[in-house]
Amino acid sequence: MSKSTGHRHPLSIMIAEINSIFAEIGFTFAEGPEREKILYNFDSLNVPADHPSRDMQDTFYLEGDDTLVMRTHTSPVQVRHMLTHTPPIRMICPGKVFRNEATDATHEAQFFQLEGLMVDKDVSLAHMKGVLEYFFSRFFGGEVQVRFRPSFFPFVEPGVEVDMMIAPVEGNKLSGRWIEVMGAGMVHPNVLRAANIDPEIYQGFAFGMGIDRLGVLRYGIDDIRLMYNGDLRFVNQF
Amino acid sequence: MKFSYNWLQNYFDQALPLPAEVAEMFTFHSSEVEDIITVGDDTVFDIKVLPDKSAWLMSHRGLAREFSQIAKFRFLMRNDHLAGEVSFGDQLLDVQITLETPVCDFYGAALISGVKVGPSPVWLKTWLEAIGQRSINNIVDATNYVMFDLGQPLHAFDAQTFIPDSEGVRTVCVRAAKEGEKLATLSNEELTLTTNDTVITDGVTGNPLALAGVKGGLNSGVTEATTTILLESAHFERVATRLSARRHKQTTDAAKRYENGLSRSVAPYGLMAGAQLIADIAGGTVVGFATAGTSDVVRPEVTVTVQDINRVLGITIDAQTVAGILKRFEYKVEQDGEVFTVTPTHERDDIQIKQDLIEEVGRVYGLTHIVSIAPLKALVETLNIRHYYAEQIRDVLTGLGFSEIYTSSFRNQDVVKIQNALASDKSYLRSKLHENLKEAVQKNSAHRDLLGVSAIKVFEIGTVFTPEGEYFRVALGVQTGSTYKAKVDDALLKVAQEALVESLGVSIEWEGTQDGVTEFTLDSLLPKLPAVTSYKTIVKTVDAKYEPFSLYPSVTRDVALWVPVTTTAEAVEAKLVQAAGELCVRVTLFDTFIKDDRTSLGFRLVFQSKQKTLTASDADAQMSAVYDACSKSGWEVR
Repeated sequence: MSKSTGHRHPLSIMIAEINSIFAEIGFTFAEGPEREKILYNFDSLNVPADHPSRDMQDTFYLEGDDTLVMRTHTSPVQVRHMLTHTPPIRMICPGKVFRNEATDATHEAQFFQLEGLMVDKDVSLAHMKGVLEYFFSRFFGGEVQVRFRPSFFPFVEPGVEVDMMIAPVEGNKLSGRWIEVMGAGMVHPNVLRAANIDPEIYQGFAFGMGIDRLGVLRYGIDDIRLMYNGDLRFVNQF
Repeated sequence: MKFSYNWLQNYFDQALPLPAEVAEMFTFHSSEVEDIITVGDDTVFDIKVLPDKSAWLMSHRGLAREFSQIAKFRFLMRNDHLAGEVSFGDQLLDVQITLETPVCDFYGAALISGVKVGPSPVWLKTWLEAIGQRSINNIVDATNYVMFDLGQPLHAFDAQTFIPDSEGVRTVCVRAAKEGEKLATLSNEELTLTTNDTVITDGVTGNPLALAGVKGGLNSGVTEATTTILLESAHFERVATRLSARRHKQTTDAAKRYENGLSRSVAPYGLMAGAQLIADIAGGTVVGFATAGTSDVVRPEVTVTVQDINRVLGITIDAQTVAGILKRFEYKVEQDGEVFTVTPTHERDDIQIKQDLIEEVGRVYGLTHIVSIAPLKALVETLNIRHYYAEQIRDVLTGLGFSEIYTSSFRNQDVVKIQNALASDKSYLRSKLHENLKEAVQKNSAHRDLLGVSAIKVFEIGTVFTPEGEYFRVALGVQTGSTYKAKVDDALLKVAQEALVESLGVSIEWEGTQDGVTEFTLDSLLPKLPAVTSYKTIVKTVDAKYEPFSLYPSVTRDVALWVPVTTTAEAVEAKLVQAAGELCVRVTLFDTFIKDDRTSLGFRLVFQSKQKTLTASDADAQMSAVYDACSKSGWEVR
């Protein structure tokens, strides 16, 4: 018999590495429920009551309990974490999220997100830029630059879109060009208030990105549905 | 939304920079330009207008203001239809407006007589067509032009549709639709309305003429015979309009603007601009105006300091630069040293708190000015023990040849039900991992040769749901044959179960052990496990590169050889790989023994194509090449 070692799933490989990188700079690995209260998934995150993302077309609701949804992002963990911790806060949360949408090679109704949050008296977008450059440089190897573009998400103000560029390396198709990787911004004062943190004293940044997307970039995975169908012809390549 | 470069130029005397340069400015200071398209002698930008700016930026005038701000170009105020005060003069006596629903807080109408419906002037046609709009006639085109220019939707009724009462007064009545009321739209679809819809009706006959804020009716629109226009410029509540548009699958440009929270203050300006344009290009006379409700808005005073801005953005901007930016927005700005008190312009509802102003200053000044501050090394406050032990479990199981899978959280039958499932086979949340693992081992079982394993061994670590709560579970599944064989499979499972107990040092309560699958809840185990003081170091290896795999079936062939004891299995394997050709995707050594100074080696070769299903003879042809190579090497095929 040939010696057979099993294989870790790429999501687990990436999550372990993400945690290890962020742990070096003091970010705690936090968690929260996948079946989440609407209060934390939307209300506390400054998502208006009439916001389209709350529609049945976008969010899974649970039968028999109108206060619950399958979380649509890992951001509710920000709120839960802030409610139970006092600044300075540094946390990440990799976790599964759910969207009620048709699936194709780049969309899944369930996928993994990475949330990040840092709150203190003077945490600014300059700190976020530094943290993200540190993370991407470690995660992709080599020197990675980050840039921001204006964007909008209800739970941050200002909101930004984050692009990264891996320093040019011959043979690395990802390197030497700007790639859009995540949404981020400065935590909205309403979100801080909802988590009992005084926005007049504290401020901070938050970011969120698809871990699946990191896998697409890092491993060249061409269909993210492969991550969730239990096929070893996929898993055993890692 | 699509924007025309030539249309934008109309707001400036100075020539705009090249389209690519303009696009870059928008992307880095306003909203992302997703596409740049050449249309005739024009260039069109497809811009993903950000939701918080959509109330005023889904218009050429809004984009021109942005450009003037970003590029410091002088905006031609004489071409600005949103500046100054609008005065309608005395209200028309023979047109009345009644508002019977809170969904409409302002309704303005202009009566324009003596118009001649016909083709639009070339400039209008060209601009509308550049942004993908079909030119219909001068009246309809004028209403569309105002919407794409100022953001205010307009609707032109044939005034004859409103039947005068005995005193010659026509009445526009805005009311909630009646349950089941029918409306044929301009595109001749019959809508069945609900009481949540709002309609524009003829106040005398009560007939619905348009679905408010969404779409006009078939029988009230402008035709070639129309000579008098009743032009509508109104404001409808955003949520009601969105739901109405969605209910009737009418996502029109008008509905999009209302649902994005267009300011009601824009409606009078839109009405004036529309009436004038129609009179200009269709040869009519603006008889007068009638309005109901109010279009007034009060914009808040927002205060921000230079220190606030620098503290949030992490930059060093000075008061003079801040003052310049805020003033270029045409906001009312009061400066007291480093403190700015700002009242935004009427169309801007997105400046409510100081963070909004910080964003405005930041994006105009340029987010590229932010210089990163490198993080300092620090210890984490608490370790995530669930992650720590999940990692330990992964180590143990992969060491025993188990591969990790992630499967769907949804099942076709279980306990906790989703209210709005994607499909009937995904209606429930899984309450255990068992079924998913069982299906996975069965599915993978057909690929054992391809994978080069004699048994499929998988595990999953994931969340399950019951009505009471959710739990983090670990499940293992094993299958050696094409079906479950208790004797062989359970033994393999047992090895893994014992290894986990030994590694964790506690007893584990296994659940649902059946059909080669078993699982346990990790959460309940965690309190019993030793405290954790640091995460294990991750040894970073070279990243795997994923290769798309063939979905065609594979064909397996075995070969057994006698080779001299001095010949290594690796050398034989290399030769086989070379001889078997590209269709051979895997060679696995499955048997070795030594007898009489010779080694017997058993290899399994798997053939698969990326283009087609291989036949037995395809595989046999490759195998004869393998046999030839073996005999040339002096190895005896058994």
